[in-house]
Formats: sequence, C-alpha cells, structure tokens
Amino acid sequence: MKTLWNRTFTWIDERVQLSDVMHFLEKKSVPVHSHSVWYYFGGVSLFLFIIQVVTGILLLLYYKGSEELAFESIQFIMAKVEFGWLIRSIHSWAANLFILSAFIHMFSVLFEKAYRKPRELTWLSGMILLFLGMGFGFSGYLLPWNEVSFFATKVGTDIAGVLPVVGEPLMVFLRGGEDVTGATLSRFFGFHVAVLPGIFTVVLGLHLLLVQRQGMSKPLSYERLPATDQKTMPFFPNFMLRDLLLWLLVLNLLAILAVFFPWELGVKADQFAPAPAGIKPEWYFMFMFQTLKYIPGELWFLEGEVVGILLFSLAGVVWMFIPFWDKKSSRGEENRFINYIGLFALIYIIILTTIGWLS
Amino acid sequence: MALVNNNALAIVLCSVLALPTAFGTAQAQDQCLTCHSTLEDNASTAFKGDIHFRNGLTCASCHGGDSHTDDMEKAMGTAAGFIGVPKGDRISVACAKCHSDAGVMVKKYNSAIPLDQMELVEGSVHGKLSTSGREHIAQCTSCHGAHGIVTKTNRSSPVHPLNLPATCTKCHSDATFMRTYNPSLPVDQLEKYKTSVHGKRNKNGDPKTAECASCHGSHEILSAKDPRSQVHPTKLPATCAKCHSDATYMKPYGIASDQFEQFARSVHGQALLEKKDLGAPACNDCHGNHGAAPPGVESVSKVCGTCHALNAELFSSSPHKKAFDSRKLPECETCHGNHEIVAAKDELLGVGEGAVCAWCHKENSNIKGYQIARTMRSLADSLIASEENAIMLVDEAEQKGMEVGEAKFKLREIRQARLETRTKVHSFDLDQFSEVATRGFGSAAKVSTEASQAIDQYYFRRWGLFIASLIITILAFALYISIRRIEKEQVQNR
Amino acid sequence: MDTPTTLDQPQHSKRDFLKYLLGGGILAWLGAVFYPVFAYLKPPKQGDVEVTSVKAGKLSEIEKESGVIVRFGNKPVMMVRTAEGEVRAFSATCTHLDCTVQFRKDTGVIWCACHNGKYDLNGRVVGGPPPRPLDEYRVIIQADEVIISSRT
Repeated sequence: MKTLWNRTFTWIDERVQLSDVMHFLEKKSVPVHSHSVWYYFGGVSLFLFIIQVVTGILLLLYYKGSEELAFESIQFIMAKVEFGWLIRSIHSWAANLFILSAFIHMFSVLFEKAYRKPRELTWLSGMILLFLGMGFGFSGYLLPWNEVSFFATKVGTDIAGVLPVVGEPLMVFLRGGEDVTGATLSRFFGFHVAVLPGIFTVVLGLHLLLVQRQGMSKPLSYERLPATDQKTMPFFPNFMLRDLLLWLLVLNLLAILAVFFPWELGVKADQFAPAPAGIKPEWYFMFMFQTLKYIPGELWFLEGEVVGILLFSLAGVVWMFIPFWDKKSSRGEENRFINYIGLFALIYIIILTTIGWLS
Repeated sequence: MALVNNNALAIVLCSVLALPTAFGTAQAQDQCLTCHSTLEDNASTAFKGDIHFRNGLTCASCHGGDSHTDDMEKAMGTAAGFIGVPKGDRISVACAKCHSDAGVMVKKYNSAIPLDQMELVEGSVHGKLSTSGREHIAQCTSCHGAHGIVTKTNRSSPVHPLNLPATCTKCHSDATFMRTYNPSLPVDQLEKYKTSVHGKRNKNGDPKTAECASCHGSHEILSAKDPRSQVHPTKLPATCAKCHSDATYMKPYGIASDQFEQFARSVHGQALLEKKDLGAPACNDCHGNHGAAPPGVESVSKVCGTCHALNAELFSSSPHKKAFDSRKLPECETCHGNHEIVAAKDELLGVGEGAVCAWCHKENSNIKGYQIARTMRSLADSLIASEENAIMLVDEAEQKGMEVGEAKFKLREIRQARLETRTKVHSFDLDQFSEVATRGFGSAAKVSTEASQAIDQYYFRRWGLFIASLIITILAFALYISIRRIEKEQVQNR
Repeated sequence: MDTPTTLDQPQHSKRDFLKYLLGGGILAWLGAVFYPVFAYLKPPKQGDVEVTSVKAGKLSEIEKESGVIVRFGNKPVMMVRTAEGEVRAFSATCTHLDCTVQFRKDTGVIWCACHNGKYDLNGRVVGGPPPRPLDEYRVIIQADEVIISSRT
C-alpha cells in the first residue's frame, strides 16, 4: 500500500514538481490562541458549499425548471425518488447553514481585523462570495415554484425595481418580463445552476489561493507576543483532521435536520391568486426587508423604499472597503471603532431579523 | 257615415229619454250610461252590475269626457277629456289612474286593494310587449273584463277561483296563440289540471282549492325559470305550503299539514332550499304541477326512479316489488319515507334496532329475508370498518409527511364500492351485494398496504438516521482519538 | 531487555484498534453516504413526473364504443372511444355531487349512478341534475400510444 502510494507520488512529481507543493504544505501552520475556533468557519462554509454542489447536481437529475413541472418534479423527488427527500432537505438546510456560516466567518474576520494588509483582496473576494451566496439563495428559493417563493420573488424583484435609473431595467432583466412568470423561473434556474456557480468558482478559487499563499491571519494581540510564545499547530495533519471532524459533525447535523425538520413544499404557485398575508423573505434578507418597513413612505422627494435601498447599498460599499479606510489596523494598531461598527451591525441584524420573523 | 247616423240617433233618443231619467236616482247623473243604456250595448248593460258603478263612478271616470251633460258633442268631446275606447296600454293606464293612487283608493274609497298591480304586471311576463310591439301582452281588462267588473269573491267574476282556470286558458290553451310567443311552452295545463286533485275539487265548486293564481300569482307572474318566481323550484315548496301547511285551512280535507316542515328537513329539502341545488326535487317533481296528485302505490318507485334510476331498477326486478305492491305498501316510501327523506343510515339495513327489514323479516318468519338482511348488514359494517381503517392509515402516513397521493386516489374506489353496496341493497340479492362488497374489501386492503408501507418508510428514515449517526459518531470518535494521538506524538517528538 | 517490548505491546494493540476503528469507520461512512446516492441515481419505477400528461395505453388495445377510468395525478379521467374510433377524455367526476361516472355501452352515454346524470360523448349534460359539462382533456396519439394531457 505504502509503496504504491510512493510510486504514484513520484510519477506525478516527475511531471509537475509536486514535492515543492508538498514542502510548502508541510510548513503550513495555524496559530493557536483563544480565538482559534473562528478559523474553522471558513472551512465549514466551504464544506457546505461543496454539499450544495453535490446535492444540487443530484437534484438537477430530476428537477424540471418549467412552470408546469417545477413543483411537481420536486414532489416527485420527495415522494418517488429513493432518498430524494434526503437530498432535497439537505440542499435546503445546507443553503441556510451556508449563509449563516458565511456571516459568522465574515464577522469573526471583521472583529479580528484579519482583513488588514495584506489580506484586503481576501476580504473583497469574500464579500463578493457572500453576495453571490445570497444570490444563490434568492434564485434557488424560486425554483420550487410554490406560493411562498413566487410571492417572495415578486416582492424582492419589486424592491430591486425601485432603484433610481437602473431599477426598472434591472427588474425586467431579473424577471424576464414585466411580471414574475415562467420566464422568471427559467432565468433564475439558469442563474442558479450555471451563471452563479461559474462566477462563484472563479472568485472562490481566488479567495482560497490567497488564503493558501498568505496563511491564517494572526490576531493583533497574538502578533505582539514574543515569537516563542506564539503557539501554532501544523495544518497537516492537525488542523485538517480537526476540520474534517467538524465537517463530519456538520454532515450529521444536516441529516438530523433533514429527518426531523423536512423542508416543506407547500402549495403550487398561482399567479392569479392574491398574495397570502405575511409574505416574508428568507431570514438572511429579513433585516433589510424589516428596515424598509420602518422607513416612512416618503422622505423629502424620494420614496421611502429608494432611500432604504440606497442606504443599504451605501452601507454595503462602506463595509466592503473597510480594509482600505481602516488605516489603523493596517498599521497594527487596535481599532475599537471597527468593533463598535461591527457590534452595531451584528446586533442590528439580529434584532431586526428576530422582529421580522416574529411579526 | 254610420257614425253620423248613430250620433243622430243617439241625440234623438237622449233628448227623448233625458227628461224622465233626469229625475231618476243619483245614477241618473251618469248621462253617458243613460244614453248608452237605450242603445242596449253590452258595455252599459254590464256596467250596471259593475262594482265601479256601485261605488258611484261613471263612464267618464275611465273614458273621460263629461258625464253630466246630455249634449253628446260636449260629453264626448276632447275638450272634456274624452279618450274614446282606449286601446292597448291606454286601457291599463286608465285603470291605474285610480288603482295606483293611494289618495283615491285609500283616502276616498277606503279600499284595501293593493296599489301596485300595474307595477307588478309591468315587471311580469305579461308586461312584455305583444307581437305587435305596440302594447303589453295583457291589459287589466284581459282578465278582469271591462264593464262588468266585480270582486274576485263574486261568483260571476272571471277571476273568481272557480272561473280563473277558464280565464287563463283562454290564451294559455290556445296552441296557435301561444306559439306566437313561446312555442315550447306547453298548452295542456288545463287538461292536466282536470286530472289533479285540485282540478277535480275546483270543478266541484270548491273555491278554497288551488287554481292558477294560487301558485303563479296574479299580477306578478314570472317564468318558472326566474329565481324570483313563486313557482321557481327553490320557492315552489313554500308556495305549496301556503295552503298545505295551514292546518286550519286544510282541516276539511283530512290530510296532513306538515309536509313542508318534513321536506325542509329532508336531504331533498336541504339540497333544494339551502344549497339551491336545482337537481333536487321540489313538490312538483314527484307530484306533478298542473296534474298534481300523490303517486300511486305501484308507481312510487318509478317516480323516485326518475333520479334514483339504479335503485328503482333493482327494486323493480327484486322479489320486493310483487311483495310490496300486493300488500299495497308504497314501495320506496315504506322504508325511506316520502317527505322527510333523510340520508339513509346503515341502521336501516339488517335486523337490529332501527332496521326496517326487521319490520317484516323475523327470526322465525320470512326467515330467508332475515338471514339476507343480517348478512348484508354485517358485510356493510365490515366494509365501513375497512374503509375507516384505510383512511386512518393514509392520514397517519400523511401526517408523518409521507407522500400518499396514489393511496388517497384509491380511497375513492373504496368509497365508490361502499356507495354501490348501498344501491345493491335494493336488489335484495345477497350475491350482487357481496360481489361489490368484496371489491371494496380488495381496494381497502390495497390502500391499507400502501399506507402502511409509507408509515414504515417513515420509521425506516429514523432508523437510517440513527444508524448513520452511529457510524458518524464512531468515526468522529476515532478521528478525535487519532488527533489526540498525533498531537501527543508531536509533543513527545519535540 | 524485556521492558521495551512489553511497553510497546499495549501501544501497538491500541494503535491497531484505533486503525481498525478509523478504517472501519471510514468504510462504514462511505457506505452510509454512497448507498443513498446510488439509490437516488436509480430511476424510480414511475419513470417520470406524471402530471401534465399520462400514458393511457395502446390505441390498438382500446375497443370501440368503450370507456375506461384512467388515473391522472390524483383525479380520475374517463377515456372513451367512439364507434367511429375517436378517442376522447373527460374528467370522471360528476359535476353534480362528485360521484365517479361510468361509460354505458348500452345507452352510449357517460352515466352517473348516483342521481341518473347523463353526459353525451362530448361531455355535455343530456339528462339529470348535473349543472355543468365534464371538463375535457387533450388526447394525443403517438404511434400506437395514447397520451392524455391537461388542456394548457
């Protein structure tokens, strides 16, 4: 067994100088400190993404993306295909866990200031990945073509349409027409299984490449420690095995969720029926949705909604470029202000999501 | 020319007769009548018996003109408002001038007659335009006459109950005439009426019994297809009940007066009156409308069979047909009632309490029927139990989130079989009944199996999860130990 | 001399046990993951989502002047073949009180046993209490295969 492994390795090494990579990998180390636990969330997000790809491909084998058949094809998967119920529920649950994990990952990076030089691009690509992930969520949500998803998409694209200048054409582009129809479904299906995966893979590749090249970021407090006190653990095999262990437990969690909390299918969408009361977006859009509800209908000369969206867009841009305007962190100085901003954002999101969910 | 001659003659006669009649009674003030009476025309002869005449009205009250003068030209001049013989709608307008005016009818004459007849007629079928297009189909005079009008309680009135059928059928039995308006409307109502209980009594001089206006109304007559009509199926039972539910009114006839009450409680009544299902029978569907009479003993199953065809067919070819008819038992009614027909419960079948079979079939008399009834009942009960069991299993599977669309579809088959067995009861033949029951049992078994499989699948998933979790836990544990070991070695090696 | 070996022994057996546990665990885990995936990949008996159309049988096997109930999703559908050979399909749920109708060869009508409702072979009401005609379904003949589909 071992010699086979050696022989294979040598064969490849002769052709691509694998040993260089191996040296590099052997030297990879992960800092060990009181906040090390946060290092795992990038990997968990990656794992969940991989789960999505695998279950997504499996679902693709039976899902039919047309108005007439979408709902029924998922019914078919849930009822007739062996373990279809498992694959589908895992896909739905993992989607939500992925977004959750990505948020946790983002906030932990923020509070640790891990985005500071030289990791600005990692933060930027990470933010893009988050937006793409939410795009995955929004497009995927419509695919069952049930009542909830139909109206959520309608409301969501309505909001997009409110943007000044670009809003209307953007909305028509997203919807494939003036209203949410089968054309929208086709489009969203295309976005969800082709466009977004393609872009995501490229950006993810960049993100991971950067992480590999630059290694794990160290907290500022850790950097100030004398070199001898800076504890580390080798990436191979220690951190990797721990990572795998965590991934295993996450997989188990998904299975438990799939069995005990199977994802609902609801009623097929009816374009001509009135919207049911209390349409809500998925939880990761909830805080923005709820905020919009609080903004008065008109502010100065602008519609309340437009103000809301512009505010969030502005906030998003500011957030995205934190590494560039947080000069203190790039100098290695503590920046409490960022902590306050982060804490405010976190609490705001949690509170508004909770309010939105309970109302 | 003739008119001039007539007028000349009239002038001569009037002036001759004017003097003596001038000193006559108060009526003598009606110069029109005075003159025309000498002509002995029908109008003036009839008018003397007219209720309007007796109330002091004159020819001029309707025809206009001046009834005080004997000068014909003045009396019948347009200056005095003379309208001549009104034609078409102008007739009814003339009547309505007083009859729609409360100031006249109530204040002046203290009359209790309704004031809306004109309005009602205009909204009714008779208020439509005639074939000429120049006037309504019917005028007041069409039914009430023109000059000899008396109250409807007066035996000589054309609208007296005993005369009314003849009045209506003047038009309505004239096929040629009716064809110009509604070729598909029947014209045999009178013929049918003559065969009915109402018609026979009417012929014998009973004014209390129903005639045309009793059901159709008088002025407000609408097509039976019009939901506002008194004879629309949804309103018909209440119309019949106007007399038939009045115990005092019906006393002399010696029949019950609770039919409407019973009917309202029945499945037919509920369907027709509450759910407005026009497929359900009203009184006339079983009794006939113009030829109304209760169906004879031998024909009950045929009448019920117009809708309940299968049951009637089975019954008619069963041994019960001869048995019931020979005992003068009214077929379907014997077991199901007539007016208060409620949904047939299973209790009706068998030999237990509340079972109708047991009325004749006892353990030691009419034994064959007794055994058949008992067996049928037990099969029916078993089928119900099987169906309930199947439904329960399907519900359980559905509650557990399993997909049971196909099993649910097959539930229809069981329901269908159950309904069919109830129909097959009427064959009173155990073989036919068992055949259908067996089919039902088969379907129930299939559904129960499918549902049970779905429920098993539910538990399979939980078991599968448990095992998978077990594997993962073991693997995680092994992995954890490996990590610990590796790290211990690494520390040792340092 | 002896001590090193005796010291090593328990380590070895523990190590071996762990190795077996790990190896076995990994294998079991792979099984637990790949078994559902392979089962999923196998197409189910009902080959495809049958919702807008249903295969109703072979044309050559359907007799003229006959009618049969076919399952369409969750609804019963009456498929009739006229004397002239044309195949038509209607909802088999009576529009009066939802009983399942049947084809009567003797009278050539679609009949409801519950209250004697009758429909002609175009689904129109020709007798009895039903208030509306039967909904019609599309019938497509491909080669010898009869396919019933909903009208969209």
